[in-house]
Formats: sequence, structure tokens, C-alpha cells
Amino acid sequence: MNRFKKESKQVSIFVTAGYPHFDSLKGQLLQLQELGVDFAEVGIPFSDPMADGPVIQETSSIALANGMKLGLLLQQLEAMQNEIHIPLVLMGYLNPVLQFGLDAFLQKCQNLNIASLILPDLSVELYETKYKQAFEKYGIPVTFLVTPLTPDARVQRIAQVCQNSFVYLVGQNGITGQGYDISSTLSTRYAELKSLCGSTPLFLGFGIDSKAKKEQAFSSVDGVIVGTAYLKAVKAGNEGEFLRGLV
Amino acid sequence: MIKVCGLTDNASSKQVANLDGVNHLGFIFYEGSKRFTTTSFYTNKKKVGVFVNASAEYIKEQVLQHKLDAVQLHGSESPDFIRQLPHGIKIIKAFGIATEADLDTTQAYEGLADYFLFDTKSESHGGTGTAFNWRVLSNYKGNTPFILSGGIGPDSARALQQFSHPKLAGYDLNSRFEVAPKEKDPTAIANFLKLLKMKTPSYLDTDSLGFYGEFGGAYVPELLRPNVEELDAAFNAYCFTEAFETDYKQLLKDFVGRPTPLYFAGRLSEKYGATIYLKREDLCHTGAHKVNNTVGQILLAKHMGKTNIIAETGAGQHGVATATVCALMGLNCIVYMGEKDIERQAPNVQRMKMLGAEVRPATSGSKTLKDATNEAIRHWINHPDSYYLIGSVVGPHPYPKIVAYFQSVISKEMEQQLLEKTGKTYPNKVIACVGGGSNAAGAFYQYYDNADVELVAVEAAGLGVDSGKSAATSILGTPGVLHGSLTLLMQDEDGQVTEPHSISAGLDYPGIGPLHAHTIATGRATSIAITDDEALASALELSLLEGIIPALESAHALSALSKMELKKDDIIVVNLSGRGDKDMNTYMEKFSNL
Repeated sequence: MNRFKKESKQVSIFVTAGYPHFDSLKGQLLQLQELGVDFAEVGIPFSDPMADGPVIQETSSIALANGMKLGLLLQQLEAMQNEIHIPLVLMGYLNPVLQFGLDAFLQKCQNLNIASLILPDLSVELYETKYKQAFEKYGIPVTFLVTPLTPDARVQRIAQVCQNSFVYLVGQNGITGQGYDISSTLSTRYAELKSLCGSTPLFLGFGIDSKAKKEQAFSSVDGVIVGTAYLKAVKAGNEGEFLRGLV
Repeated sequence: MIKVCGLTDNASSKQVANLDGVNHLGFIFYEGSKRFTTTSFYTNKKKVGVFVNASAEYIKEQVLQHKLDAVQLHGSESPDFIRQLPHGIKIIKAFGIATEADLDTTQAYEGLADYFLFDTKSESHGGTGTAFNWRVLSNYKGNTPFILSGGIGPDSARALQQFSHPKLAGYDLNSRFEVAPKEKDPTAIANFLKLLKMKTPSYLDTDSLGFYGEFGGAYVPELLRPNVEELDAAFNAYCFTEAFETDYKQLLKDFVGRPTPLYFAGRLSEKYGATIYLKREDLCHTGAHKVNNTVGQILLAKHMGKTNIIAETGAGQHGVATATVCALMGLNCIVYMGEKDIERQAPNVQRMKMLGAEVRPATSGSKTLKDATNEAIRHWINHPDSYYLIGSVVGPHPYPKIVAYFQSVISKEMEQQLLEKTGKTYPNKVIACVGGGSNAAGAFYQYYDNADVELVAVEAAGLGVDSGKSAATSILGTPGVLHGSLTLLMQDEDGQVTEPHSISAGLDYPGIGPLHAHTIATGRATSIAITDDEALASALELSLLEGIIPALESAHALSALSKMELKKDDIIVVNLSGRGDKDMNTYMEKFSNL
């Protein structure tokens, strides 16, 4: 069963675990759930987040300074398991996962009913040759990124690998958190990508910062993922307002 | 070149002529041979006539009659005799070789023959079917390329792969590939050629995903996938062409100042009781080996039509080398540098600015090299049309391969220089410092697959390996993914990358190139860790003994000499990767009492 397939368009929020405080996560997830967010991405902080812009970099280093570690994050998730019902996706760079031990990590994910994993520095080639067996052993669906420039055949291949989760569309080539306009050319490409993905849902992220952009995205894809804009609101202390305006 | 000899105009000879890979066909016009022939056949392959002490008239006749491309002289033909032969025909002069002394006779033929052919020494002018000791040929120092002959058989492929010489041009196959004299075995030849082509595994080989053994790969976000693929394709298609070679060699010679000397360090040798040579990369333009790589990559970038170049730098050496080649080519240059390093390395920041580069501070994390690398990668993701010029054998595949290749000029020159100075192309040990490891990769390159050469990678122990202030990655590191490759990495138990420390900014990196991780993990290379204080002492020692002030990085490599048991006739090459000018602030502080 694919937990990301729905009739309606979806909104997902990315939250850095351990930001702004070590134990902020539970309250944040409860709020997302209450305000109708469809699923949440929980970011595993890393010292060298090479695909992230300044906002997520900062939240990541604050989280690390707060003492957040992958093992502790998994403990927090375990403690809130009965209260959080929306699907959870874990997102982070590969290294902390490898250090924790890939098998041990996937076993935990299985116990925690994690809906998918996104590891941006893991390519589909490496996944298929080196890591797939372990993911399949524990039944953890994987999610890969595509961009408007990804060749059609590769999009189809990725959609096939992600058939139990979703494909994450990076709206425009760039690191996280850079606003941009969805031009008509981009919209057309998004629609093409949507059809290339077949039955695998396609969500748009990296730069969705307003309700207007969300509505625009809804016309071509299955949903949006918001990270930087939400974390900025968290920093400013007005995330409730932001979420109500967005969802 | 593959030459098959002893053909006639029979069916099996013609089958041999049709084999891919066989490009020279030998016909023996010497009555004393079991494979004597008076006939040949038309072919588009090169035809070689073999003669033993024949008259010039006879040779000329056969050249015309059989339309020969080359004549092989297998007797005691004199240099004067060769001068009488028609011009425009290639000359192969054969020599029987048993000992080193037999090589002396070749000297009189330098410049007269296009090739020498080295065969097993016998009274019967070749055709013995037995091999001689090819090792003798490591003493051959002539300029004329040679063909290896004598007893090469179906079982020789592996031994041939292990024998290399800068002047080796090809192989001559004869009696061991036939069912009877003149009856060649085309299938055996085809199988042999296939085996010969199947390279023996090399430490420098990567698999299709870019792994050296278990290390390497391209761990990059999907956004960079097209970039690394484009780069790999362009490198493979362009950097082995004559056009590239010509431009690259020209720049290395006229702009960089290569070849750099291989200097016999007499007083240092006396002190350590060995024969020690220094490969003087410190004499390269910009003061270190870094420019070998930037010259190669800038030609590649230009070929790819890139106009915006980005780079990361720690101490500023690679930044300066990049800014230099960008100025040379008139390309835009942005160098990311940690905020802390910008403060510590003011002269290099000024150099880059004078060379027209924009220096952008990396303000995240520890504000040093690894953070500058993160920023450069982010810039690359945002501007995929820019060219990211990485300065070491790190980063996602194909960078480690590309940078190692461009630095390989170091050991390619060493082979030639050692041959002139010691009579052998290789030393007993090569010692080089390793941060990311580009100078070491270049100094080891030609020797990875020669088990007679010990490769010593010297890392920075900082205040001591166990002090918590160290950069000895191969000892303190565990496998992990950083900056696009899986390698040995200094990290905590949570997988967060830890801060290295070394007095030398060029060795102050938490990772190590995947090629080094692989060769150290498999025991091919040995790693030694040298502390800040030991390196400082070696820097002073070299200054006093040899009149050369080395960079702090290179001083680490020199310190390794005191950690090894050396023998008088051990030939050691220390790669002196850079000069000490950039470290004057440190030296002024540490040696203020001189």
C-alpha cells in the first residue's frame, strides 16, 4: 500500500529535529497533524548539509548544538508513536545513517512505521547496486529527487523505484529555500513529469513559500513540501499563523 | 604493436593477417630459417621482411617485389650497412640479449633504426622459442623504442602485463603460436591478444560507479548528477586526444616550468644513510604541485565551453593555482574560503584578488576548508553551468580520477629522471604527504602496480594522534560519506564530521581521497603520522642541510625519513610538494630564536 496516494492534493512540512529546542519535535508534529498537514518530513541534522540553503543549515547546526543525534531522534519518535498518526518521512544525509548502521536504522524505521526515507546524497544507481537489499528487507520505501532537467527515461526509472512512496520534485535547480516563480515553461514541465511518474505521486518542494505558489503547484502535481518557509516562521515564532495561511 | 613473424602465403598466414590487433606481418627471407619464404601476399597490414646478413641488393629487391613497409635486420649488420639501405623504409634492428652488456651494442644504432627488437640471444639468429630475462631491459636507456621478442607464448600474457618500460613499443609473436613451422594457429593468437587486452586489475581502476575497492563513488544530490556525468564524458573524450596533450604539455613546460628537477639531496642522504632524491614540485609556478591539476582542468573547462570557474581552498594554494589559470584563460573565478582561513592566510587572499578572482567567505560550520567545500558545492548546485575545479583527489567520481591523472606527470617525470640517474625507472620508496592526497596520488601514480615500490603516505598527527587535535585520517577515520564520496572520514559516533587539526593548513582536512583510503586499507600504501613539532624540525633541517625551505605539508613527508629503517643503497624519492614562502608567518613565530 502506498500511504502517499490520495484523491486530494497534499501539503507536507519539513521540520528539522531538535530545532529550535532539543525536544521541540513532538509539539511541532502534533500541531502539523492538528492543522491538517498530510504528512511530515523529519530532518536528521548533519554537520555538512551540502544541498541546503542558509536557513536549514542554521537549524541543523542549532539542532546539533542542542544535542540532537540520530539515536535520540529515534527515541523521541518512539515515545510519541501513539499520538502521531500522519505518515512520517525521515530525511537526511547518508553519513549519520551509515554510522548508526544501515540495518539497525532500517529496523528502527520499520518498528516506527516510517513511511519513507529521503537521502539526498544517495543516487538511484548507488541505491540499486549497494543498498536496495537492506531497504527491501525491512520494507522501507525510498524516495528520490528529480529536477525539471532530469531526462524522461530517468524520471520513469526513479518513479518505478519509488512506487511505494513518491517522487520529490525539486522545482528549480538550486539548494533549498530559494524562492522562484513557477513560469509557464516550468508548469508545463511539471505536468510532463507528473505523467512520466505514472501512478507514483509527485510532490513539489525546494522553494514553496506561499499559498499562491502552492495553489499554482496543485494544478500540475500531487502536492507540495514546505521546509525553509516553515522553519523561518518557527524562528520568528509565528508558525501557527503560517500553517493556517498555507493549508 | 603486435607483429606476427614467420608467415608465408598459406591459408593460416592469411587468417592471421585478418586478426584484429595484429598490425605487422613478418616474412623471413633468410634461407637458414625453418620459416624461410619466397612468397608473401597482398594485405593492408604492415609487411616486414626479415633478413640475416643479406646484401643490400637482395634486400632492395625483396622490398620492391613484396612491397615491404619495414626491414628487420637479424644478423650482424653494421651501422654503415644500414646507411646504404633505401630511405623511407622503416628499419628494425634485432639484438640478442642475455645480459646487461648486450645492451651496449645498441648504442651505435641510435638514430639509424626506427625500432630495436630484443630477442633471446642464440647462435641461430632467433627462432629459439625460449624467453630471456626481460628484467635485464630495465637497464636499457636508449631513445629508440623496442619490440620484445623471443619465446612469447600463449601463457605469457600475464607476465607481459607486468613488464613495463617507457620505450616498450610492442611484441613479436612467432614459433610458440604455430602447430608446425609456417603453420600458424590464428585461434591461439586471437585468444592471447584478448588476454593481453584484459588488463590486470590496477589500483587505479574504478568500477562503473567510480569505486576504488570499497571507497569512492558519486554521492551527489540528483541536481548534480548531470554535472558529474557531463564531466566524466568530457574528460574521457577530450583529455586523451592529441589536441589536449599538445596544449597541456606546452603549458606544463612554458607556464608551469616543467619538468621539475629530481634533485639528489646529498647531505640529507648522508644523514639518513640512504640515497634520497627530492622531486622539486616546490619549483612549479605558484610554488606547489597544485598548478599541474588546475592547468589540466582549465583546458577541460574551456573545451566544455564553461566560462565561470569555482573552487574551494584551505590555505589558499589551490585557490591561487585556480585564480592563476583563470587569469591565463580570461575566465571568471570565484574561490570559496573559510572565514577563519581568510584571516590566517592574508597573502594568498591578496594573490587571488590580484589575479582577478573573487574570494567568498564560507561562514558556516567551522569556517575552514570543509565548509568552503560545502559552499562551493552549493554554488555548483545553484549554477550548474559553472565548472567546479576541485583541487584534490577528493569529491564525487570522476574528480579523484581526474585530479590523480593530472598530477601523474610527477611520477611520469620521475621514471625518466630515475632511469637517467640510477639506471632504473623506479625507486624503493616514494614518500608524500596526504591531506586530500593530490601530490601523493601524482607521485605514486606510475608505481601503484609495481610491488617493488613502497608507497608511504604521510599524514598530519597534529598535536599527536590521540590528542584530539589531529588530522591523521587513515588512523582516526572510519568509512563515511562526505563531499560526494565514501572514504575514510574523521567523525563522531553520530556520523557528524569532526574538526581536524594540523599546523599545516594543506593537511587540515577530515577526509582523505578514496584512492588513498583504498590503497591504505588494502595494505598497498603505508601511512605514517607526523606531529606538528616533528614537521617543524624537518622544515628547519632541510633548510640547513640542503638550502631548501619546504612548505609545512612537504616537511611532514620529510619527517617520515626518521621513522623508517633505511639501507645505504635504498633509493628514496620524497615528493617536495611545495615551498615554504606561504608558511613564513608560522616559521617566524616558531623559529624566532634563530
